[in-house]
Amino acid sequence: MTLEKPGDLLGAIGGVPLPPNEVVVEAAGVEKWFGRLHVLKGVSMTVKRQEVVVVIGASGSGKTTFIRCVNHLEKIQGGRIFVNGHLIGYREVGGKLVEDREKNIAKQRQEIGMVFQRFNLFPHMTALQNITEAPLLVRKTPSAEAVEMGRALLARVGLSSKENVYPNQLSGGQQQRVAIARALAMKPALMLFDEPTSALDPEMIGEVLEVIKELAREGMTMIVVSHEMGFAREVADRVVMMDDGQIIEEGTPEHFFTNPTHERTKSFLSKIL
Amino acid sequence: MSSPRPRPRPQRLQSAVVPVGIAVVAVLVAGCSSSASSTVHLNWNYFFDSVFHPDSQIQNGLWLTVSIAITSQLIGVTLGTFAALAKMAKFRPFRIIANVYIWLFRGTPLVVQIVLFYFGLSVAHIYGWPTINFLGIKIDGAVQAGVFALGVNEGAYFAEIVRAGILAIDPGQMEAAKSLGMTYGQGMRRIVLPQAARVIVPPLGNEFNNMLKTTSLLVLISVPELYTVFNRKQGNYFAPFEFYLAAAVWFLLLTTIWSVIQAWIERRLAKGTAGSANAGPGLMDRLFGRSPTLGEEAPVISGGR
Repeated sequence: MTLEKPGDLLGAIGGVPLPPNEVVVEAAGVEKWFGRLHVLKGVSMTVKRQEVVVVIGASGSGKTTFIRCVNHLEKIQGGRIFVNGHLIGYREVGGKLVEDREKNIAKQRQEIGMVFQRFNLFPHMTALQNITEAPLLVRKTPSAEAVEMGRALLARVGLSSKENVYPNQLSGGQQQRVAIARALAMKPALMLFDEPTSALDPEMIGEVLEVIKELAREGMTMIVVSHEMGFAREVADRVVMMDDGQIIEEGTPEHFFTNPTHERTKSFLSKIL
Repeated sequence: MSSPRPRPRPQRLQSAVVPVGIAVVAVLVAGCSSSASSTVHLNWNYFFDSVFHPDSQIQNGLWLTVSIAITSQLIGVTLGTFAALAKMAKFRPFRIIANVYIWLFRGTPLVVQIVLFYFGLSVAHIYGWPTINFLGIKIDGAVQAGVFALGVNEGAYFAEIVRAGILAIDPGQMEAAKSLGMTYGQGMRRIVLPQAARVIVPPLGNEFNNMLKTTSLLVLISVPELYTVFNRKQGNYFAPFEFYLAAAVWFLLLTTIWSVIQAWIERRLAKGTAGSANAGPGLMDRLFGRSPTLGEEAPVISGGR
């Protein structure tokens, strides 16, 4: 797959206007229970603009749950998550967290794109409609403008010829590329990727990672849950290792390749590398 | 010879239907000939006239049956959809209201609901069902009460069908909608319900088939629909066999026409969906109840009646 011009993925949605070094995500002491199961035990993380953070860890370590908390698909029972300075999902009333109104939460989510492991494209809509639906419905973008942007995004992910095709006629890799374009169409300030390649056949992983790398090069702020260490080495500014609901090690990709310190990290990496 | 979509509809079906048809005819003929020799004389003209030259009463009855069925079904679909959404709402009072509604109307006989709404409410001076004028058409109070009872009853059943349809949709769809900044309502309306509709249509067809026939219960409050007309005729002429048989033929005609429409709708809806070449059971299978082949079939949700 070829992207026509480098630097164009974000160009298709008007670019990233904001400067680096500004904090986009600030998570502090996030606590999460599923019933009696304590899945996040005080997770803290800061992500600056244009930074790419790759989260690794065994299944059940809480990494997927954590990024689902960042756009409030999961409630949290303690701590705070801020995105662009807004407390996500809650209002503070007398030092206590009270869940925010649905409308406000929906508004916050417009700034946060998410790509799912199983794509979750809308099967009753064409590739183009999948992309234009939210801008039309939520942002009230004029139809012509939304379609133009949708086509530009499809072109950038190499799927121009598929605009009138339904998701079930696309391969997994193509579906995931449409899903990325769909998330970008809302012009998010932050992108969350929840194991974007783990439901794909091996030969399709490359084309999806290529799109994500492209986004990283263009300066999109991202948190990516992934086990693709080669990808992490190439694009991550930071790798975060989670285990049993906690961040146990954090560093550059090189650090993880050359001298991981924690025993759990060593044994985990020895299994996936 | 080699059409793109070979349709595996074998001779087997006909070979099953033909003997059954012959058996039915044989029983009818045997019944006529043996009883004709005794005192009972069947006047087949009553039957043939009712079927082939329906008088204005029958025509009006037909019209009334169809319009009552359609109106009641529309009310049922609307009420049922809202009840299903209310039953799944976060807000507890909505859930309670929906549950009480479903509990009451599924837990009591439709017959009781019909007479209670019409006779009960009017005699108790709660609501007298006055005749109303709707777009220049006079609608009798009994018709209103009948449509109301059928519609409200249908809604209670339909709520469960809609709920099952919504639950059949992957929760990831609503999550994707929310992650794009849609509210629950927007996600429901634009993403989940259109997909649930595909699951709901086959049982909806069965519900409407039922509704066409259930209108005959309105004989209890003297709504002059199809069955009421034939019920009167058979009494007037004392020819129950001929007239009830004619009533059966008319109802069979209505449900058969509906089957054709339903099959067409399902075929259209199936376009653009996964493996849509096989779009549910065909008309013959539907009419004669051959079990569908496994695989592409949409999940079947019964109304539980």
